[in-house]
Amino acid sequence: MDLYTISFYMFAVLLLGSAIVVVFSRNIVRAAFALMITLLSIAAFYVLMMADFVGIVQLLLYVGGILVLILFGVMLTNRQISVDIREGAIQTIPAVIVTSTIGGILAGAIWSTAWPMREAARSVAATAPVIGEMFLTTYLLPFEVASVLLLVALVGAALIARRERKS
Amino acid sequence: MLTYTDFLLAMPLFSLTVTVLLIIATEAARVGRARFSQFLAITGLLVTSLLAGLNLRESGVAFQGMIATDAASSYLTILLSLAGIVTALVARPYFEHRDAHRGEFYILLLFAIIGMVLMASANDLITLFLGIELMSFCLYVLAGFERTKDKQNESALKYFLLGAFASAFLLYGIALIYGSVGSTNLDAIARAYAGISNQPLFLLGTAMLIVGLGFKVAAVPFHMWAPDVYEGAPTVVTGFMATAGKSAAFAALAIVMIRTFDIGGSTTADVLALLAAASMVLGNVVAIAQTNLKRMLAYSSVAHAGYLLAGVAAGTAEGFAGVFLYLTAYTVTTLGAFAVIGWHERTNDEGTSLDDYVGLSQHQPVIAAVMALYMFSLTGIPPFAGFIGKYYVFMAAVRADLTWLAIVGVLTSAVSAFYYLRVIVMMYFRERDGEHIPLPRIPVMIALGITAALVIVVGVLPSTVLQLFMPAM
Repeated sequence: MDLYTISFYMFAVLLLGSAIVVVFSRNIVRAAFALMITLLSIAAFYVLMMADFVGIVQLLLYVGGILVLILFGVMLTNRQISVDIREGAIQTIPAVIVTSTIGGILAGAIWSTAWPMREAARSVAATAPVIGEMFLTTYLLPFEVASVLLLVALVGAALIARRERKS
Repeated sequence: MLTYTDFLLAMPLFSLTVTVLLIIATEAARVGRARFSQFLAITGLLVTSLLAGLNLRESGVAFQGMIATDAASSYLTILLSLAGIVTALVARPYFEHRDAHRGEFYILLLFAIIGMVLMASANDLITLFLGIELMSFCLYVLAGFERTKDKQNESALKYFLLGAFASAFLLYGIALIYGSVGSTNLDAIARAYAGISNQPLFLLGTAMLIVGLGFKVAAVPFHMWAPDVYEGAPTVVTGFMATAGKSAAFAALAIVMIRTFDIGGSTTADVLALLAAASMVLGNVVAIAQTNLKRMLAYSSVAHAGYLLAGVAAGTAEGFAGVFLYLTAYTVTTLGAFAVIGWHERTNDEGTSLDDYVGLSQHQPVIAAVMALYMFSLTGIPPFAGFIGKYYVFMAAVRADLTWLAIVGVLTSAVSAFYYLRVIVMMYFRERDGEHIPLPRIPVMIALGITAALVIVVGVLPSTVLQLFMPAM
């Protein structure tokens, strides 16, 4: 086993373990911190796949942005911290059936597919310039639409959160 | 390289975007009141439908194959703009009456239409996904537009949570299709389709795509959100999302399933046929038990998703034409019906129950007649639009060896007559003891006039409408 394989399995275990904590933890702060480990492990996977740009974006946006936002949300609603967030599960058996069916089908498809395998790249070529160029050429329209989407989110958030206007 | 043609083909998108930016600017500067935003929105939508009309005889891909403009997508752009115009006309009286008329409504309305136009002209799964998200974001917020009302909050939250869940399925499906094809471009997928259509990974991707889009069109078994969301949302928003939202999602479904995948006769078509049959049966049977008109139309919209899915399951050019014709008929009819419900509704959300319509014809004979027209059209009684739509999709299903599906469709249509005609019975054959409701204001009258006229025009001249989006047929 080389270092690459070892780090892959290490992060895989870390990812799954922390994800289980997120789902089953009864303490919301603990769940939030476990989520941080999950998101960091995903960033590590991107790096292992030589996707440096996506890895850094994952780190900046998810760990740096979204997680901090979640923690702020928890802190600002501090009365909720001590509250038991799991009020007992309902419909456990249907949920187990549905999720295990979907999981089984997914696993089956993944096993039965002949994946095109490639030698792991050992040298790193920066991907950011290529991605940047693609955004302004091939994917120009989706790139612009994504910014429109952000504008919608802004307008929507302002509408929901602002104070009532006196008319 | 981008050329002049790219911009020409995407002109409707640009005019919509410019309009919405203009509204945002005037709202931010507080130049006009909300009614100025309404004026801008209607003007922008008129310009957009004009530009789309000019594109009706053009076809081609633009922006490196991200969008494809052709007669069908331009036609749908016109239809969506029309739905936007009718919604904008009805919105002002509705919200002013409830003291909640805000310019943001028109901003979100136009943004939603941009997303819908993108869906209808998508030539890449990425564009399709962004279009769906753009539309959905706007509809989530619009469903809870009056934020102090509990029912609307419930509606928005339910729609948002389940919608996010469905989007995850959709995105996963797109990723799996990308994994098996190596491209998200619909042309590339169409070329590779014959070789990969039996790969488990591709089938799984297709299944997840159907789950995601099935949610957006409210087909059984992904319809659970529809009754609560339709009932809780402001009536003008319900009308808009039931018609324009469904049209855009079905256009996307038809483009992916019929044009790209060529599913005719495959297992995928059988799955869609089963979903169609389930939607028809469940939607129509449960609608019978509803006493609230908004909720009844929600279940009826589930049933109509079933009829539309029959056209998609046929998987032929005829099915494609049938879906577009049905969407036209359903959009104009349902928009009108919701406009009537919105007028009849009182500020405390009452007045949407079936009993409130008792004897309406004695007080407002014109409105009752128009509502009866919509109900006849939804039932599928000739010569109104609904009949033509059903005729074309069932015909396509029969020609594609799905005769059993067409039979289910006709039988469930007969069931639907019960609850649609019950509205007419209530309005015409009962004595009125409720309060008197004044005539709707002029914008609502115009909206009712437009939709009622179109219900008849589409019903009488279907081949003219068909010529617009299917020049070859």
